[in-house]
Amino acid sequence: MIIEMSKVRVLGPRERLPDVLRALQDLGTLHLASPAAAQSLAPLELSPTQVRDRRHLVRALEDVERALAELAIPPGAGPVPHGDLSVADLARWARLGGRVRRAAERLTMQGSALAEERALIDKYQHFYSAFRSLLESEARWPNATAYHVLLKRGDVESIHRLRASLTAVIGDEFELYARPLPTGETALLVVVSSKAAGRVEHLLAEARVQEIPVPAAYGGASLSDAIPRMLKRLGELPGEQERIRREQVALARTHGAELKRARAALHDRLQELQALPLSAVTPRAFVLEGWLPAAALGNLQTTLAGTFGNEVVVSELSQEEWASEDAPVVLSNPRVFRPFETLIRLLPLPRYGSIDPTPFVAVFFPAFFGLMVGDVGYGVLLAVLGLVLHARSRPGTVLRNVSEIMGPCALFSIIAGFLYGEVFGDLGARLFGLKPLAFNRQEALIPFLLLAVALGAVHVLLGLGLAVASNLRRHPRRALGSGVSALMILLIILALLAAVHVLPGGFFTPAVIGVLVAFPVLIVLEGMVAPIELLSMLGNILSYARIMALGIASVMLAVVANRMVGAIGSVTVGIVFALLFHLVNFAIALFSPTIHALRLHYVEFFGKFYSPGGVRYQPFGHWTRSTA
Amino acid sequence: MTILFTVLAAALAIAIPALATAWAQSRIGPAIAASMAEKPELSTTAILMIAIPETMVILGFVVAVLILFSKGA
Repeated sequence: MIIEMSKVRVLGPRERLPDVLRALQDLGTLHLASPAAAQSLAPLELSPTQVRDRRHLVRALEDVERALAELAIPPGAGPVPHGDLSVADLARWARLGGRVRRAAERLTMQGSALAEERALIDKYQHFYSAFRSLLESEARWPNATAYHVLLKRGDVESIHRLRASLTAVIGDEFELYARPLPTGETALLVVVSSKAAGRVEHLLAEARVQEIPVPAAYGGASLSDAIPRMLKRLGELPGEQERIRREQVALARTHGAELKRARAALHDRLQELQALPLSAVTPRAFVLEGWLPAAALGNLQTTLAGTFGNEVVVSELSQEEWASEDAPVVLSNPRVFRPFETLIRLLPLPRYGSIDPTPFVAVFFPAFFGLMVGDVGYGVLLAVLGLVLHARSRPGTVLRNVSEIMGPCALFSIIAGFLYGEVFGDLGARLFGLKPLAFNRQEALIPFLLLAVALGAVHVLLGLGLAVASNLRRHPRRALGSGVSALMILLIILALLAAVHVLPGGFFTPAVIGVLVAFPVLIVLEGMVAPIELLSMLGNILSYARIMALGIASVMLAVVANRMVGAIGSVTVGIVFALLFHLVNFAIALFSPTIHALRLHYVEFFGKFYSPGGVRYQPFGHWTRSTA
Repeated sequence: MTILFTVLAAALAIAIPALATAWAQSRIGPAIAASMAEKPELSTTAILMIAIPETMVILGFVVAVLILFSKGA
């Protein structure tokens, strides 16, 4: 649900504004908003000194954040320094941030350069090793020139062609060595007498054969000179990288805690400066306005009265004085539903005064997911995966919420698995003689389709019911329109059921008459688009057939996986293939039902009542990691 | 002969929407990927955009099932 908010106005003498802001920051419950315009009030503008301070703070904060990121200091708010921060403290933190950032960036650059150098030498290591042995041959040719060539994988024919061309141009005044490399390429060393070098270069250029480039770091040196230096360097690099790492660790250990304190303090001071323009002033007084949860109003009044006595007055504005669209939104749900708020937060927040769909999503999302997966084996695997994720995640993170959503999804999958009689497809039936409690998905396609569409009808009608409840007070005409739409859908379903003899035939005529009566009423209420919307709602209900379609696909893949055991000659190979196929099916079962269950909620269900555009509740308080 | 036509009709009922879905997703996929590169917060929209054309093939599947399991087949 969306919790009730109160809008308050804080009045006091102008000189006490900084103290009041500090008290409000300590409380951390008031979401500040600009006061309504009034003749005698003027918005407070920052003085040139404050503007300059803000600029300096932003720059210092950038330095501190960058230094923390460069040193890979784990997230965490760190101790927040409360109370008055002296200018000297802020200046010291700004200097520290700049100094550590520069040092950390220098170390990072050095580390990157070393890693690049190592990667480059590693890349050519096989190549160099092959040439090192060839170069021993080169040493026996004192008046010779060596050419180093790399041939592509499988290009052995070129060796013969090159040998033939060299023989044709310079006779037998050359030696050609070839070594296969582990990469599949072939390293070539061509040694020719110095006087034939010109003709060989011309030949290589004509054949568009390129020599191996010596890395730029060894620029100017020939390959035979560079190789020993590179291999020696390769031995030195790990030591240098370790030295850089130790320096980074030392820097983080020395300044990490202080940088965290600096970050919190700089954020706090910046927030204070940013809050000032949200106040309005007269020559002698200030006015602050904002929202807070209605339950927190008493605490705000007591705290400010205790600190400032009669100097500062807190008054609650009546509901008529503010538009509910502007009020910030706080979702508050029972613990069991709370993880599903993650799915709601993927969309813009609902507006204040509208309906928070979290409880409905918490029920229907796992139900749809379970009906699609519908397998005891996959459900148990999902539960295990959820438990592992739960153990490895921290409270309050998205990962923890996802792991907690997995629990109900696994439960519904197991329940549906018993209803369909499935454990890893038909393995349960074949091994343990498991019988379906409701129906067998592989055969009863039509009952499964009817179940899916019936669920769709219930879900869409619930959405229309919520639209009625949401609009009843503020938009009664729209609420009535939603109600008539729901009634018409219900009547159409009744008429269809009567037509196919599921219901007694006597229902048919009254239902059709009801539809004919409701139709003009709907057009009067919602205009000429109403018939199109009605048709689209029927389409929405049919869209729930995807529950059946994905369910059938899931069970069929599992059955195919099981049949692999007998279909492939060796039982062991068959089991391995079956396990792999089940793994693939499980991965699909994690992904596809999630996407489609989400889509059914976001498009078919939310489309009826969800009113996005709510403002996020951001109380003015001390900086913490979660408010970043 | 009737069985042949029934099976062919069911196959076409799923094949044509499948091709249409594939074509629609082939246009939506690159567009949404490019959008997400600039605005990662569009991930929810991306899920919806990719999943919406799948309705065609799902309804095609339902029609195919109805053709195969109808009384006359």
